[in-house]
Amino acid sequence: MTATGQPASPAPAPGAPDERLLRTSPLRRLLGRPELGSVVGAVAVFLFFAVVADSFLQASSFGTVLYAASTIGIMAAPVALLMIGGEFDLSAGVLVTSSALISSMFSYQMTANVWVGVFVSLLVTLAFGAFNGFMLTRTKLPSFIITLGTFLMLTGLNLGFTKLISGTVSTKSIGDMEGFGSARKVFASQLTIGGMELKVTILWWFVLVAIATWVLLRTRFGNWIFAVGGEAEAARAVGVPVIRTKIGLYLGVAFAAWVSGQHLLFSYDVVQSGEGVGNELTYIIAAVIGGCLITGGYGSAIGSAVGAFIFGMTSKGIVYAEWNPDWFKFFLGAMLLLATLLNAWVRKRAEATA
Amino acid sequence: MTATQALVELDDVSKFYGNIKALEHVSLEVHAGEITCVLGDNGAGKSTLIKIIAGLHRHDGGTFLIDGEETTLANPRDALDQGIATVYQDLAVVPLMPVWRNFFLGSEPTRGAGPLKRLDVRLMRETTRAALLRMGIDLRDVDQPIGTLSGGERQCVAIARAVHFGAKVLVLDEPTAALGVKQSGVVLKYVAAARDAGLGVVLITHNPHHAYLVGDRFVLLKRGVMSGSHTRDSITLDELTRQMAGGSELEELSHELERATGPAPGAAGS
Amino acid sequence: MGAVLAAVLGASLVGCSSTGGKRAEERAAQAAEGRSAVDTPRWTFAMVTHSGDGDTFWDIVQSGAKQAAVKDNINFLYSHHDEAQQQAQLVQAAIDKKVDGLIVTLAKPDAMKAVVAKATKAGIPVITVNSGSAESAEFGALTHIGQDESIAGEAVGDELDKRGRKKALCILHEQGNVGHEQRCDGAKKSFGGTLQNLYVDGTNMPDVQASIEAKLQSDKSIDAVVTLGAPFADAAVKAKDSAGSKAEIDTFDLNAKVATALKDGTLGFAVDQQPYLQGYEAVDLLWLHRYNRNALGGGLPVLTGPQIITADDASELAEYTKRGTR
Repeated sequence: MTATGQPASPAPAPGAPDERLLRTSPLRRLLGRPELGSVVGAVAVFLFFAVVADSFLQASSFGTVLYAASTIGIMAAPVALLMIGGEFDLSAGVLVTSSALISSMFSYQMTANVWVGVFVSLLVTLAFGAFNGFMLTRTKLPSFIITLGTFLMLTGLNLGFTKLISGTVSTKSIGDMEGFGSARKVFASQLTIGGMELKVTILWWFVLVAIATWVLLRTRFGNWIFAVGGEAEAARAVGVPVIRTKIGLYLGVAFAAWVSGQHLLFSYDVVQSGEGVGNELTYIIAAVIGGCLITGGYGSAIGSAVGAFIFGMTSKGIVYAEWNPDWFKFFLGAMLLLATLLNAWVRKRAEATA
Repeated sequence: MTATQALVELDDVSKFYGNIKALEHVSLEVHAGEITCVLGDNGAGKSTLIKIIAGLHRHDGGTFLIDGEETTLANPRDALDQGIATVYQDLAVVPLMPVWRNFFLGSEPTRGAGPLKRLDVRLMRETTRAALLRMGIDLRDVDQPIGTLSGGERQCVAIARAVHFGAKVLVLDEPTAALGVKQSGVVLKYVAAARDAGLGVVLITHNPHHAYLVGDRFVLLKRGVMSGSHTRDSITLDELTRQMAGGSELEELSHELERATGPAPGAAGS
Repeated sequence: MGAVLAAVLGASLVGCSSTGGKRAEERAAQAAEGRSAVDTPRWTFAMVTHSGDGDTFWDIVQSGAKQAAVKDNINFLYSHHDEAQQQAQLVQAAIDKKVDGLIVTLAKPDAMKAVVAKATKAGIPVITVNSGSAESAEFGALTHIGQDESIAGEAVGDELDKRGRKKALCILHEQGNVGHEQRCDGAKKSFGGTLQNLYVDGTNMPDVQASIEAKLQSDKSIDAVVTLGAPFADAAVKAKDSAGSKAEIDTFDLNAKVATALKDGTLGFAVDQQPYLQGYEAVDLLWLHRYNRNALGGGLPVLTGPQIITADDASELAEYTKRGTR
């Protein structure tokens, strides 16, 4: 019962190209990519701001845009995978704050090397992810409800614990503690290349997107993600471990939340306990703009990165263009609708010509 | 043609959901290179029977033998490992995934080790094309989403998949139910091809014409009870059609007319 | 020159109307009547605050800043975000734009530290407004314009004592705002009676009202409620009425509604920090710095509050609150 158990295929020269495959033009192949709509959108947004905002094209501005995009993109990549797997995580935004708070308060209260806190935070954050996945697969309730519950609980825990332990709503500074310097290098350092300040989060972002893409397209796990999101029952029937796959996806989100949380902490020494609320939607929007189907089974990690980049360009481009920022949300909403429509249209076209 | 040892044998099997009898005293045999047809109308217990053979449900009474040994299947994976592959009517595939990914879903071949362990994409693509070709399915592009294939083609891919993965027993749930006449014929051809490849096939259907075209043994279910079991040489198509209530109005009518001369066993229509 | 100015003002008129409605339009029209009184080059000043979306307080700050910008021939830019990280990114974007002056709020000082340092390093003068009086100088800002929240809180405590109150409630509508905590702590410190904190969700007005109502019902001995923002005073009044409580409602900050309520006695007193002044002075002081290297405050924060406003003052302020400058 293995794939290679069959005798060599008697089919005529399987390696030889089928002449009819030529009909699959590179263009159609491109049209079939889930991130196409977002790439078109990104180019449009880029050109738009390049024209209307003169400081948009500066190297330093580009560094700022990339940084803004990376803080969203780090989370958007695993959230995209989760959505491809057919689930949501509404707790992703506050989980970032929780992760930072745990790390900060553990180190401070225990007067430990901050790396100890960072490590403890990783474990606890992953535990929250596992909790989401476990509750989901156990109760069979929609992930919307489960993670809405965790979202609210975490919001309360963040504020409650922080006030209980620190006495105020933000944590105490851990900037003078042992290990802070090295941790800051890992999570919040920056590099200047040709007048462009590049934060280390951009590196984290690229690496995470690369890993997510690799996992999605080139591993068994990736195949299972598509399958559980596309048709969980069919996947189960052919032996895909649906529960393990979903829990794995929530762990992925938790890991990225940990990275983002540590960045937050080591950029600013202290953490505001009330923050992070609302960001979960930002991640989902980035993933959807990037071509993730809201019902699961379709999408890409690279698309989520493009979605995050559009976010970064729009939020900062409006500043460079000297516009009233009140319009930002409108822009974003319009972008979201356009991207989704474009995606639906492209997919329909691609399928019609198949 | 008749094997000495049945690949799968159900003997007096029953299944209850709480106090509801879903299936009672059903027996059937599946032999290599033969097609066993299970016929019944909606609600006759066909899907319960399938779920037992596929490992989704456990039977509550009777014996379930694989290669002559009594077993209880824990889950679908267990059934697959025992060589029983099931192709469901509508759950066969993940529509948005490319054909080749669907083909290997759940049994993906990999290369490399550790963190570099990855799908052998080349092998997967080529094997998919080759395996489909061997079944006589010539697909333009294995990269197209399987949802873009016709219903019959999808069934065929699923059958080819089962054959490729060395299934000994192929369970087909209503493969022709949603198909037109021509498509049904194509699917039946692949069912026969699977039989010729030496597999034992369980064909679930409510269409006696389709069943009689390819079947070697016929088991009739009615309201969870076995109402008849025949081999091909012991029954004619007319008799099978007659016993199999439901179907077209014409059959219903002739059935009514026949009852006037003398009721056949289990002829009460549902 | 005049045409450019007209175009810019026309644009700012379009921009204002998105948040402030009719009133903002009128205000911009008033501003448009003004002529720049100076002949300095057209500098660009950016203001980045921690305001959430659509906050009337910050509308008033902006209108002050815009008025000063017209007078001083300044291209004034405004952006805001209520999350520290996002606010820091917006400041960075302003630095990228190479603005000639920067006005920031330090509600979450640690998050702003690095980016403010970057601005001063890039030679951009920085003035902090509203919150952050303690950190302003340390971060390298020219000066701070705002109200010391602890002092403002203490003023409230004293005023409550003066009015013979015994048990007060401090309504915090923004969990996580250090300045708000300082206000309540300050009031607690100087107040002779007892003061309790109550957290409400400021983005959900019905919830604010319901929370206060529940608290007033459960504790009839509460005789004063202090809200930390003008819009919440109204909700507190409604809560008091439906809870049948006799508590006096007092509030931080001012708006048209509060002014009217003060006049008719629905509210006890208001503590104004003069947001208009914060915006106006920040722009004007930046201009003075660029033009003449002037500085105000002598290294100490320039305080715009607290100013206790009671029924007597309210009537003469009503006219200004109505046009959105107080």
